[in-house]
Amino acid sequence: MGRPLIHRSPMPGLGLSMGITLTMLSLVVLLPIGALLLKGASFGIGNIWDTVNRPRVWAALYLSFRLSLFAALFNLVFGVILAWVLVRYRFPGRRILDAAVDLPFALPTAVAGIALTALYAPNGAFGSLAKELGLKIAYTQWGIFIALIFVGLPFVTRTVQPVVEEIEREVEEVSATLGASRLYTIVRVIVPMLTPAALTGFALSLARAVGEYGSVIFIAGNIPLRTEIAPLLIVIQLEEFNYDAASAIGIAMLLISFAMLLAINLIQVWSRRRIGYV
Amino acid sequence: MHIEIDEISKAFGTTAALHPVSLSIPSGALVALLGPSGSGKTTLLRILGGLEFPSSGRVLFDGHDATGLSVQERRAGFVFQSYALFRHMTVFENIAYGLRARPRAVRPPKAEITRRVTKLLELIQLPDIGPRYPSQLSGGQRQRVALARALAIEPRMLLLDEPFGALDAKVRKELRSGLREIHDETGLTTIFVTHDQDEAMELADFVVVMSMGRIEQIGKPQDIRARPATEFVREFISG
Amino acid sequence: MSDTNLAPPRFRSAIEEPRPARWVLIAIVVLGLGVLLFAPLIAVFAEALSKGWGAAVASLGNRDARAAIRLTLTIAAISVPLNAAFGIAAAWFITKFDFRGKAFLITLIDLPFSVSPVVAGLCIVLMFGANSVLGGWLVASGYPIVFALPGIVLATVFVTFPFVARELIPIMIEQGRAEEEAALTLGASGARTFLTVTLPNIRWALLYGVLLCNARAMGEFGAVAVVSGKIRGQTASIPITIEMLYNEYLSVAAFSLAALLAMLGLVTLLLKTVLELRHADQIAATYHR
Repeated sequence: MGRPLIHRSPMPGLGLSMGITLTMLSLVVLLPIGALLLKGASFGIGNIWDTVNRPRVWAALYLSFRLSLFAALFNLVFGVILAWVLVRYRFPGRRILDAAVDLPFALPTAVAGIALTALYAPNGAFGSLAKELGLKIAYTQWGIFIALIFVGLPFVTRTVQPVVEEIEREVEEVSATLGASRLYTIVRVIVPMLTPAALTGFALSLARAVGEYGSVIFIAGNIPLRTEIAPLLIVIQLEEFNYDAASAIGIAMLLISFAMLLAINLIQVWSRRRIGYV
Repeated sequence: MHIEIDEISKAFGTTAALHPVSLSIPSGALVALLGPSGSGKTTLLRILGGLEFPSSGRVLFDGHDATGLSVQERRAGFVFQSYALFRHMTVFENIAYGLRARPRAVRPPKAEITRRVTKLLELIQLPDIGPRYPSQLSGGQRQRVALARALAIEPRMLLLDEPFGALDAKVRKELRSGLREIHDETGLTTIFVTHDQDEAMELADFVVVMSMGRIEQIGKPQDIRARPATEFVREFISG
Repeated sequence: MSDTNLAPPRFRSAIEEPRPARWVLIAIVVLGLGVLLFAPLIAVFAEALSKGWGAAVASLGNRDARAAIRLTLTIAAISVPLNAAFGIAAAWFITKFDFRGKAFLITLIDLPFSVSPVVAGLCIVLMFGANSVLGGWLVASGYPIVFALPGIVLATVFVTFPFVARELIPIMIEQGRAEEEAALTLGASGARTFLTVTLPNIRWALLYGVLLCNARAMGEFGAVAVVSGKIRGQTASIPITIEMLYNEYLSVAAFSLAALLAMLGLVTLLLKTVLELRHADQIAATYHR
């Protein structure tokens, strides 16, 4: 191809901006990730597999992924309802709720972690209620589930909200003039329009949950094989200076992240091709 | 279907969009609501379709009070200026929508739906576009699909809001005669809103000229041309 | 006209849910957010103040707490400007020039969002830790990175990497290049063009990105936990100190520091809301992490 790598431009600052961008990107992101992959390569695929292929690691990866999936599914449904209510309905306190949606982004994970633990521990406000019902939340998988819901809550809402705002009123009206009930309109017209954005938010929420550490470890109880999440396993290996094992698990998690990143991009390509513009 | 508009008014907050207007539309007529923007013509159309509720007055369909009928119950085929096609559905699914949305007891069987959609695609002279998505159609094709979708529910009347507004001049001329043909074929009472006097005069049996929420004149196109009732009408049709 | 028309029949809008359905949905949302978001927030302050104001304030004056606060401020003071500089440079490079692989570059910049903070920390330990070639040499030369401030800053910059850039890129794409080109034809230098034309146009988006970056930088836990070594009084930032205090059952002290960070979060949200209301046109409508 005869296309130049960089087009000539009268704009100043090419060298400076490109230099800073590529240097920082390499130094901060690419080289460290490269170091992890290099470590994995020198450790060997066989050894990585042997490290990952142990009950405790499988249990942690399975737990992280399964609970993240459940939490992301919860957030998918709740997030779409939340986006709908915040955009369409007018009621006192709406603005406060709208601002509060971002709380999980603004509240540090460690703070969220100890706060959730205080609430759901057997002597906490919600924990004691659950105890009367014979349920235990903190230090069980339920606790992890709740913490993962917390950290992933804003994603679906924030991706779906702008789409709800853009739905043309005529599309809903025409559905009604064609005889469709409101419920039929929602199921057949509105939900399909929100689906691509909701799926993007779902994938983001899932990716965040799989990698989450700070808000989970306090409430999890961290019992091997039962409530031990994958990121914690990496930390434990590091504390024992077992860098090979930590890298093996880290690479496994990195692959999961890349797969999800790919999924997000595919969803966007798919929806753009399918829906396009009318 | 005969449509009777009896002293209909509409206020949005404190601003009156329609002062009480009355109008009788004989069954099978093709009527144009003509006026500049803000004249209340679209509001009147939306009230007929059940999308807006009048502040006072009544709407009668074939002599029966239809004021309280919900949108769904009115069975008015409504075509929006933007067409409002469902962009995640194919053309076929768009046209079949109203039939599929019916309660199970009155929903036609699958084969019947296919038959009707195919027939409508032939009526709008686009027999092959069923599997396509709206984003793959031209503006004129979209307009005709919107029309076919409205006709699919076997409407009692056809209401069109600036049906040619989003099209370029050449396509506009073609589709005008298309609408006339479909009207003549179906015999439906048809009301369309336009701000284009040529369009109204060429297409409609009756033209209703509106301004500032009032009806200025009702008449056959040639009568309005020959004898404008008010200063506004004179200026509007000469302008 | 008959009398029935004086009281018009109830009219249901074609594009609204029935009233009971609306109430149910609003109730779900209020209850859900109450339990999921507001309750933990209240819990932080309730726990911090469970032994009264005095105990809470006193625990903040503790030597370790003061060291933690100082360290966290230092981390933010270094990593936020670094990220702001990177964000401006990257946004300038991406929006003012045409080059191959632009989409790929944007993906790479977004990459840290998809990587677990723990994995990020692990990467930095592997790169700069004492048992790597580079790290061993740095430690021998007296410049340790891991278990020291540079490593913590590096980890923080990693996890907050895209914040400023992804605020600026959409807004700068939207604003185009015409204004800068006009300034250049009028004889302004590159630096002058940036300072007098570009910067005023992007200042609110920049502030917004910096705010989000700062909140995350001060609160980062997972990545810092891995690289810091958690040395009390030296490499323990506020979140790390919270963990240590909490594990030692010093609940009031832990929650007092947590309340401090929670207030930072609330101030961030408040400023964000104000910025969104007043400068919505200048802030990209993207999601944030």
